[in-house]
Amino acid sequence: MYNVKVQRLLDSLDKAYQGPVIPMKEWDTKIIPKTVKRILKKYNLQNTLDMDNPINCDDDLADTFFKAGWELALELGMYCEDTERVIKITEDELLQTIRDYQDINILGEGQDQVIMRPRKPEDPYKPLVASSLGIVCSEENYLPLVQGIVKYPKLVDVLHGPTLATVFGRTFRSGTPYETLMGNYESHLKQEALWRAGRPGMACTGVAGAVTEFGHLGGAPVLAGRGNVTMSLCPVELKCTFSNFHRIIQGLNYGHKLRVGAFSYIGGYAGPPEGAALCCVANDLLIPTIMQCDYTSSYVYDIQLFGNCGRKAVWANSVSIQAISRNTGFMRNKIVNETAGPCTEMFMYEAAVGLMNHSVSGASKTTQPRSAGGRYTDYITPVECWWSGDVFKSCAGMTRKDANELAKKILPKYEEKLASPDKGLPITECFDLQRQQPKDNYIELFNRVRNELIDLGMPLDKAFGEWYMGKVSNGRRTIIL
Amino acid sequence: MTNDEILKKLADLVAEGEEEEAVETVKEALAAGIPPLTVLNKGASAGMDVVSAQYSAGEAFLPELVLAGDAMSAVIEIIFENMSSEDAAASKQGVVVLGQAKGDVHDIGKNVVSALLAVNGFEVFDLGIDVEVKAFIEKAKEVNADIIGVSTLLTTSLPYLQDTLQYIKDTGNRDKYHFIVGGGPVTPEFAQQMGADGWSRTAFDCVEMCKKLMAKGHPGQGGTLLIDSEGGVA
Repeated sequence: MYNVKVQRLLDSLDKAYQGPVIPMKEWDTKIIPKTVKRILKKYNLQNTLDMDNPINCDDDLADTFFKAGWELALELGMYCEDTERVIKITEDELLQTIRDYQDINILGEGQDQVIMRPRKPEDPYKPLVASSLGIVCSEENYLPLVQGIVKYPKLVDVLHGPTLATVFGRTFRSGTPYETLMGNYESHLKQEALWRAGRPGMACTGVAGAVTEFGHLGGAPVLAGRGNVTMSLCPVELKCTFSNFHRIIQGLNYGHKLRVGAFSYIGGYAGPPEGAALCCVANDLLIPTIMQCDYTSSYVYDIQLFGNCGRKAVWANSVSIQAISRNTGFMRNKIVNETAGPCTEMFMYEAAVGLMNHSVSGASKTTQPRSAGGRYTDYITPVECWWSGDVFKSCAGMTRKDANELAKKILPKYEEKLASPDKGLPITECFDLQRQQPKDNYIELFNRVRNELIDLGMPLDKAFGEWYMGKVSNGRRTIIL
Repeated sequence: MTNDEILKKLADLVAEGEEEEAVETVKEALAAGIPPLTVLNKGASAGMDVVSAQYSAGEAFLPELVLAGDAMSAVIEIIFENMSSEDAAASKQGVVVLGQAKGDVHDIGKNVVSALLAVNGFEVFDLGIDVEVKAFIEKAKEVNADIIGVSTLLTTSLPYLQDTLQYIKDTGNRDKYHFIVGGGPVTPEFAQQMGADGWSRTAFDCVEMCKKLMAKGHPGQGGTLLIDSEGGVA
């Protein structure tokens, strides 16, 4: 498969040098918005956003978005910023990619190996959870934090990991030798943490702190082979850079699976939520074809709310995930961008809505959490990671109708605060890193909100309560983490 | 066409981002004897208000903002050419050099700021993504800028914000340019600690901040101006 992927990547690179030349500003401000608008109109998809029903339950609407996204993908292709040319694909190439696409992705090795599968909407097969996102963490906290993140095998399957604030005490700058060193250092720290946690075969999804190919170059040799993953994230919807291709080829060189994504922004070039959803569908079709990834990592983000837990983004993610899930076997990692921080009700509510949505809509994997929007150093604890796993896996098999009704009850608890979210507490104030347990303030809050959501209908105990069940009194369960 | 109709047409064209037609209409307005200041305030600026409100309400998006910003910039250039130097100086909002920090290619937030500043009458020189530290000061000198703004979405690019300010200081230019910062991981605390002149939460706040900095003058003095319309900063 390596040779096939390389040949197809070379074809894409050739196209990046031979495709139509378009000035970037024209692509951004004219071609993307006009084409998106025209295709939305052609398929009667304008104004389909349903603020009263944030999780889509309409199969026909999802299928129409798929057809429209297919047309958008074939008409536009992906823009290469380095050459200012468009990498176009043919329908035959897209069909060939779908035909050749694998049935599963095997991540990790030994007893820590996990299997990613394509999922349909309402699929009972439990999706995978990678933790955390690249939240900045003090160097001295890194090892115990990562050890805590991967503590529970049933909640977290794959390690992505936080981002180091410093390397050997030095501030590091992206795109410099500091980053190359960081890639190696972070990878070694993660291996050490996995060994300490007794999960040495767990897959790692690349170097969390690597924003250019240099960080990946530093880390890839440490994590070579054994079902690890290289991540390559494009700057925006329907656009890529040579830096993306550098990372992809590095990943192939080291025997990694490839996770490639591009985010679609509500309010950005794609315009309204419907436009962002349409571009997200096109991303999920174009990226496996052009960049030969094993799974995609694209999602819809709302630039006015700095996250995707508001109604518009929840809806746009639901309909775009369902479009691909119902019509292809492509596996996708879908990210929820919470805005509130650790030890807040708001974080738990945001994650609950976002992850339930992605689970019932058919995502195969998530990477979580984005505690405090990723804005503050040390505002992440293992508890947000565990909560993400608890919700995402437990909601597998829920109906979209039930999930939608539940989302409608949870959203009012936080949506008015999205523009100014609760910052929460730094790890040292709500988690005991030495004992690897949350402090009393977080345990109380966690159980209170968890029980509240169970009472509202989230099937948490049904799926996951047994193995880490705590004491029960007066019909209320207290989880002992 | 009456003068009011010409001004209304200009406002609509700016709001719709129709640069060429907006330029023709400005010329038409000036030829009709409408004072340049009136053309600016009741024509071009009225259009800017429309598109800003539409963006804020989720009825217009980044492409519309960018195109309206281009139209506004072209229109302003002609209006200023026809103003007295005193009126032009009094009407100019300021010159801003803006870019995404080194190592960062995620520029959508910065593009919103760039477009909103242009729509609001600032002359904006957008250096794009992955901008070298030195490039900010070189461009600022070239265009006689008032404000240098650096944005990042990446924590790993945060040090470049400090590097840029340090470079401005080390080259003896701290009193020449207001230095503003923004982006996802850039907190008000970070902006204050590094000694920036301004930080804002949203793109709209950034416009307000730049106006206040221009009115205040004296870059590098008086601490960090923090503008947060969401109320997160006291």
